[in-house]
Amino acid sequence: MTAGTLAERGAAFLPTALKEAGIAAGIALLLALPLVGARTVSEGSAFVVTPRIVELALGVAFVFAGRLAIASLRGGHHLPVIVGALAVAALGWRFALPSAFLGVVAIAGGLAVACIGAIGLLRARRDEIPAVARIDTAGLLRQALGWLGPALIALAIVLPFLPFADRRLMDIAILVLTYVMLGWGLNIVVGLAGLLDLGYVAFYAVGAYSYALIAREFGLDFWSCLPLAGVFAAFFGIILGFPVLRLRGDYLAIVTLGFGEMIRIILLNWYNFTGGPDGISGVPRPTFFGLPFKRAPPEGVESFHQFLGIDYASIHRTYFLYFLVLALALITNAFTLRIRRLPIGRAWEALREDEIACRSLGINPTNTKLTAFAIGAMFGGFAGSFFATRQGFISPESFTFIESAIILAIVVLGGMGSQIGVVLAALVLIGLPEFFRELHEYRMLAFGACMVLITVWRPRGLLASRDPMIRLSRRRARP
Amino acid sequence: MSLLTVEHLTMRFGGLVAVDDVGFAAEEGRITALIGPNGAGKTTVFNCLTGFYKPDTGRLALRADGREHLLERLDDFRVASEAKVARTFQNIRIFPQMSVLENLMVAQHNRLMRASGYTLLGLVGAGRFRVAERAAVDRATYWLDRVGLTDRADVDAGTLPYGGQRRLEIARAMCTEPVLLCLDEPAAGLNPRESAELNALLTFIKAVHRIGILLIEHDMSVVMGISDHIVVLDHGAKISEGPPDFVRNDPAVIRAYLGEEEAEDG
Repeated sequence: MTAGTLAERGAAFLPTALKEAGIAAGIALLLALPLVGARTVSEGSAFVVTPRIVELALGVAFVFAGRLAIASLRGGHHLPVIVGALAVAALGWRFALPSAFLGVVAIAGGLAVACIGAIGLLRARRDEIPAVARIDTAGLLRQALGWLGPALIALAIVLPFLPFADRRLMDIAILVLTYVMLGWGLNIVVGLAGLLDLGYVAFYAVGAYSYALIAREFGLDFWSCLPLAGVFAAFFGIILGFPVLRLRGDYLAIVTLGFGEMIRIILLNWYNFTGGPDGISGVPRPTFFGLPFKRAPPEGVESFHQFLGIDYASIHRTYFLYFLVLALALITNAFTLRIRRLPIGRAWEALREDEIACRSLGINPTNTKLTAFAIGAMFGGFAGSFFATRQGFISPESFTFIESAIILAIVVLGGMGSQIGVVLAALVLIGLPEFFRELHEYRMLAFGACMVLITVWRPRGLLASRDPMIRLSRRRARP
Repeated sequence: MSLLTVEHLTMRFGGLVAVDDVGFAAEEGRITALIGPNGAGKTTVFNCLTGFYKPDTGRLALRADGREHLLERLDDFRVASEAKVARTFQNIRIFPQMSVLENLMVAQHNRLMRASGYTLLGLVGAGRFRVAERAAVDRATYWLDRVGLTDRADVDAGTLPYGGQRRLEIARAMCTEPVLLCLDEPAAGLNPRESAELNALLTFIKAVHRIGILLIEHDMSVVMGISDHIVVLDHGAKISEGPPDFVRNDPAVIRAYLGEEEAEDG
């Protein structure tokens, strides 16, 4: 592109950009006037409406500036926009704006615009570089992804030994890993077999209650209950799956949603058995293969710290729980990766692609779906019994529909069927909101914004590419 | 006895009689074509044969492995797995986001499932399963060579051109090792060169693998060129049957395709 046309474009773009920004700001003003512009304050017995002019003006100004920045980027003015956006972000960081939310908008928005500008600048520059000198970004990304998995596992293993690994970080890590495991379990059902399951939390609940009830009634410990919890959950998966798996898509989703609620309501109302809303307390804590984590163990029992000859510290149990859930999650992952190479895993994926074609090839669709449902449920059950032993207390409160929705969101936003995608999505959806608890109610807003951004930019999930599990040629064929 | 014997096949959809008391036979090592104008009921016959529809009346007997299977009593996937009838679809049904090779591996699902001990042996990586898997890849490679897709084996099937997808669907059906291959308009949308290649492929399958082929086709160059026996349907009823030369000159067939002269006069 020559300098002349660039200048022409620059001259022509300003009025349209200003117009666009003006319209956007006008809409923002209309929307924000009733929502932000007035605040009701109760003074004694009276309600007083106080205007919030500064907030309103700042918000509209941000919208104006943002829209102008986007239009300018389109016009090819990368550098000024990047500088301006960084300035806005710095402003939000340095000065206390009237509300914390405006500060977040200024910082996040400024940084986002600066990033987009920088990407645009690189792209524009890249077009000027001859093709041979260009870096194969897609190939590099693919290679990086290949390293990301082992790197994440290594990080997960050394995490508790890092200096900044305090109690809070470990708790968040355990929570994230629990959801990673649930995500990997549901990924078998939704990502591989393509069965939209909105009631996955039911199997999580079955696993948790199986462990709590078996431990209470029969006095079995965690390690004997874990497989039983998986078996029970898988059994429930088959019971549910058998009548409903002939349904497809939305219909299946509705039925599974109903099943999830049924389990929760049964748990809530079967008071004699489940304790109803009181839940079950005193669920046995995990033992290190028989060695309890207690300062003063009962007579005749050696505890973990005595066995190792170290001082008692309550965080030992946290570390143990962390490694426990890490191991469970990695088992889930290894199982999924393995089974995708087996005929049953391939049949799941084929079933997701085209059920009628599968039938014409002699694949029994009901059995194939049932195994996916049962195996997914089994891992949900494992996760559930881990949850029970970590909390020490379970009640139906923990197994509401929102849990199913979050797990499904992790799978879908991660990229259906992608194992690393699930990890990234769990970090974004579970880890970030936990880290940013200081933002209070805005963290849920940020959660929503994340979901919207991912669906806009990566409609098929963060990592949607799929590599065949079996290849004819050893070298990686590129289309 | 014939490989496939269809007797008194009738299929109604509400008040519409799609197939009306049709009977024919298909032989091993021969290509039997099912032709007729649009809406004659050809695909309905196919769907009854392959278990996708349950016919109202009729007997569909298939001889495989020395046993007789009554297709009208089998579920669709059993028709494929037990009676060894494979089919392709008028609107191609491949697995677009799986690789070409994986498409062919899915077709060998039942054999591989048994070899993998219904997944348990496969999970521990038993040698028996690895042998079976290698055999499955070899079979897939054989058919990829036959349909000329070997160099595209590892790309997503959805990225193949139209003709390639058609050939892949035939290769996939052959990977199930059928005794009867049912092809629903395999030449639709192919150019003359691809059409000729299809003829060669079907003739090869017939000659070398000695299975029965049942073919629905509109492309007369395909039908007349390779069929051994032709069954003509019109409005759900069989109006003619015989070798290509006979059917080509049968007045009933000409009437069905070109309309009645008397009707035009009057």
